[in-house]
Amino acid sequence: MKKTTETGDMKVQKEEKVIGKEKKPSIITRRDFIKTAAITGAVTAVAPHIWIKPAWASDPLKIGVMIDMSKAYAFLNKQDLVGIKLAVEDAGGKALGKPIQVIARDHRLDPGIANEKAKELYEKEKVDVIIDVPQSACSLAVNEQSRRYKRLFISVDSGTTAQTQDKCNYYGFDWGYDNYMLATAGGLWAAEHLGKKWYAITADYAWGHDLLKNFRAAVEKKGGKIIGNDMVALGTSDFSPYMIKAMNSGADVLVLLNAGADTVNSTKAANEFGLKKKMSILHALMFTANIKAAGVNVYEGDYATVSWYWKSQNPGAKSYVERFKKAMKGAPPHWLTAANYSATLQFIKAVQRANSKDPDKIIEQLEGHEFRDMFANPGYIYKENHQAINDALIVKCKSQKEITEPWDYFEIVGKVPAKEAYQTPAQSGCKMKRPA
Amino acid sequence: MADFHEKSRKRREKIFYGVAVLVLFFLPFFIPYKALGSQILIFMLFAMGYDICLGYAGMLSFGHAAFFGMGAYVTGLLILRHNANILVAIFAGVLFSVLLAFPIGYTAIRRRGIYFAMVTLAYAQMVYFIAFKWTTLTGGDDGLHGIPRPDFFGISLESETSVYYFILGFLLLAILFAFRVVHSPFGHALVSIRESEQRAQSIGFNPARFKLIAFVISAGLCGLAGSLYCILQNFVPLKTLHWSISGDIVMMTILGGMGTLVGPLFGGMFVVLLREVLSTYTHLWALIMGISFIVIVLVFRKGIIGELKKRAII
Amino acid sequence: MNTTTLMMMLFNGLVFGSYLVLLSLGLSIIFGMLGVVNFAQGSLYMLGAYAGYTCLLFGLNFWVALLVAPLVVAFIAMLAERFLIRFLYKEADIYVVLLTFGLMLVFEEVIRLIFGDLGRPIGVPDLLSGVVNLGFMYYPKYRLFIIGVTAVCALGTWLFLIRTKLGSIIRAGTDDSEMVDALGIHISRIYTGVFAFGAGLAGLAGILAGPLQEVTPLMGNEILIQIFVVVVIGGLGSIAGSIVAGLLIGEIITLGVLFWPTAAMTSIYVLMAIVLLVRPRGFFGRAGFHE
Repeated sequence: MKKTTETGDMKVQKEEKVIGKEKKPSIITRRDFIKTAAITGAVTAVAPHIWIKPAWASDPLKIGVMIDMSKAYAFLNKQDLVGIKLAVEDAGGKALGKPIQVIARDHRLDPGIANEKAKELYEKEKVDVIIDVPQSACSLAVNEQSRRYKRLFISVDSGTTAQTQDKCNYYGFDWGYDNYMLATAGGLWAAEHLGKKWYAITADYAWGHDLLKNFRAAVEKKGGKIIGNDMVALGTSDFSPYMIKAMNSGADVLVLLNAGADTVNSTKAANEFGLKKKMSILHALMFTANIKAAGVNVYEGDYATVSWYWKSQNPGAKSYVERFKKAMKGAPPHWLTAANYSATLQFIKAVQRANSKDPDKIIEQLEGHEFRDMFANPGYIYKENHQAINDALIVKCKSQKEITEPWDYFEIVGKVPAKEAYQTPAQSGCKMKRPA
Repeated sequence: MADFHEKSRKRREKIFYGVAVLVLFFLPFFIPYKALGSQILIFMLFAMGYDICLGYAGMLSFGHAAFFGMGAYVTGLLILRHNANILVAIFAGVLFSVLLAFPIGYTAIRRRGIYFAMVTLAYAQMVYFIAFKWTTLTGGDDGLHGIPRPDFFGISLESETSVYYFILGFLLLAILFAFRVVHSPFGHALVSIRESEQRAQSIGFNPARFKLIAFVISAGLCGLAGSLYCILQNFVPLKTLHWSISGDIVMMTILGGMGTLVGPLFGGMFVVLLREVLSTYTHLWALIMGISFIVIVLVFRKGIIGELKKRAII
Repeated sequence: MNTTTLMMMLFNGLVFGSYLVLLSLGLSIIFGMLGVVNFAQGSLYMLGAYAGYTCLLFGLNFWVALLVAPLVVAFIAMLAERFLIRFLYKEADIYVVLLTFGLMLVFEEVIRLIFGDLGRPIGVPDLLSGVVNLGFMYYPKYRLFIIGVTAVCALGTWLFLIRTKLGSIIRAGTDDSEMVDALGIHISRIYTGVFAFGAGLAGLAGILAGPLQEVTPLMGNEILIQIFVVVVIGGLGSIAGSIVAGLLIGEIITLGVLFWPTAAMTSIYVLMAIVLLVRPRGFFGRAGFHE
């Protein structure tokens, strides 16, 4: 057993002399390198001009889907793919005379991988659009590639508002929801119906901060106020001190600006301290899958904002839910799968109306367009920042005795109209660079 | 007899490296998508830079992600917010990595060997955490987005092919530089310190100073890799600072063969390609890579190039 | 900020510090004996939590899980030491470290493949749920339990090493294993035992922590870095150092998050840097020990 910590086991080749003698490297000489540098410079200058761009206009319509297939969001995201495929079916499965192809990629919630896969999808697979891309950093990366390759991108599962604000991109669209809408719809409704004094517990990172800012604005619009806020590091397991502070603050509403494990832990802590007897809880982001995993008792009586619920009465919703349940063996679709469905369907319809794969022509058909499908009835796409807007729904989590069928965890208690829930194009400040 | 073997070995060596250079030059033409090729080049550079610290100075650092990320963020910020010239931005990226290496290296080298690994990991985590919190500067969790690719003396780097050759140029320059360092008196002194610090000290060398310089040089090369990464990706994810990147680079260097400079170059290419291919076919790829790493450490410690050299194949 | 909340946070700091104590105690002992910095210590913690979760899945109660989890982790560590790590002792130290790093990757992936990425819940046992009246405040029983178990283990470990024959052999082996071997004592078995024991402590920390947080494959990663800071400050190889520094860092992180959230996490690294500059061997480390 070695007593020292030197990594002294590196016996190198015996030609290596000890200190003092300059030794010429055995493989590469200086001349080789100068030659190499010169050639490199020449090739760099010439290469892009000799590399021929292969023709793509005659290929079938290809829809690229990028989701998490192996990490924390995998369970939710795989359902998005089902929704997208159902949309392709409902659009007739064909566009411009050829069958539509759906190509899926796993970005594993890693923005670097998302960036690479976007390039692969646009360059090698030559997709006409990339749909979905959950997680804000991943979505922003794909947004940039969409701009560079001048191909369409419809962001659905990510909440970042940057895509419709300072990072807005002529080829990019935002569908389904964003952080502004979650905060504003939830804030406006709850400030009116649940109480004017709020306490916030915010996950201490970009998403949480963004939500807090938007909630504050919405609550104050209705004459309310966020009287206290705690920034909590991601992955905190112990929320007890924050619950005590919240309860002592005298607020009516506790808003939990977190997701995943943090939501579970904070809500459990709230239950532990009997917080719900004094205050209502509003969540930033909620899915039926969360309730299934943690248990109905944990979330009973809590509120959240969604864009759609599987019990929707929109025309076509019931059929969608039935077909989805069959494909997923029982579980009904969550609201983002419906948003993906809508984005895909409207994209295909736009292609059919434009009768072309030319991105500019497709965009012309999408922007400023009002549409109706089982997700948004109606929905509208702003021309200035390419945001698709829809009415927001406020839901309340049912108690065990209120649940009459499996997965029926939500009760729709309110609605915030699209134009109020989403930022106006002027507010978003998007200055889109349009092609000449 | 030995002379004959040595001659044919040298010939094999030349052929081997000749083929390698050809592959590098024509990689964009037979790789599925060119951005993958550029990624390979960057990680080759990163691993080679790391080898100066691990293979030559004998210091197991788990914190090199800090330098990679620093290079990436500095270059990114200069291009994004200040419209900097591309060479200036890259130079600044390298400079800041080097500057960061001084305090980290100075305190870490006070604890040798094993402590060094823990301490560098801790510092890198601190840098990660600062970047995470300082959202106005770094974009925090979201990362720094929308970084354009400036022109290089009038040549546009927008096409993935151009940027590949641009990066290749830097890689080749870096290889030249690293080889000169390693085969210089400084390099030889470093190796002797690695072999036995006490002996080197008795001759009159100051081991700490040599190791610090090696650490800083290594950081600079890894910072260069980061700067190029930022230009390739048009954005800088927070992950560039994450310790898993440090872990990846250790894997690449060991797999390729530490202490050979060429080994990590191959290790970088090999791991990036393997990951890409494996992840398309199986979701067990991370497990396979982990097990391969253990096998390499147990049985093929010298890495691919190291083993080939040991058996005098090249 | 009233006194009750402050007291509560101080105790919470002890709880978090307890995990750090158990983990760094294990790390220190393994290092002291084998000269190995066990990069897998964090993932052994994670394995402990999952081993406990699996027991609960099979319908066993928490108390059984509490006993079984550390043993399972110790067993896995024993296998790793006997069939993998052992071959690298004669090589340079970094290879063993790299091997433990590789084990860390493999453990994480295996758990992820079996259990997935989503967190798994472990409930607090009924006997320990609820609060206890300490006079100046109410505090959860389970958290006191964690502090208690850790105190017993730390004291027990210390007594074992100082007072028993086997303990003195282990301490002797720390200083000069070749000599011990020459005396005819089966040093290799002791190596395995020590490694398994250090791992068992990590596993115990894991199952203790399970009910209070989400059990995920990644739960060992952040804490690994934190225990590295603990042993650098306390002194690698020192029992007292692990205990004192573990509790200290636990308090700094817990209280810091409440008072100076931005600086809290960086402060421990700054402290580590200061210790490295002023007293590189750590507060309780021995001079010349593995330097």
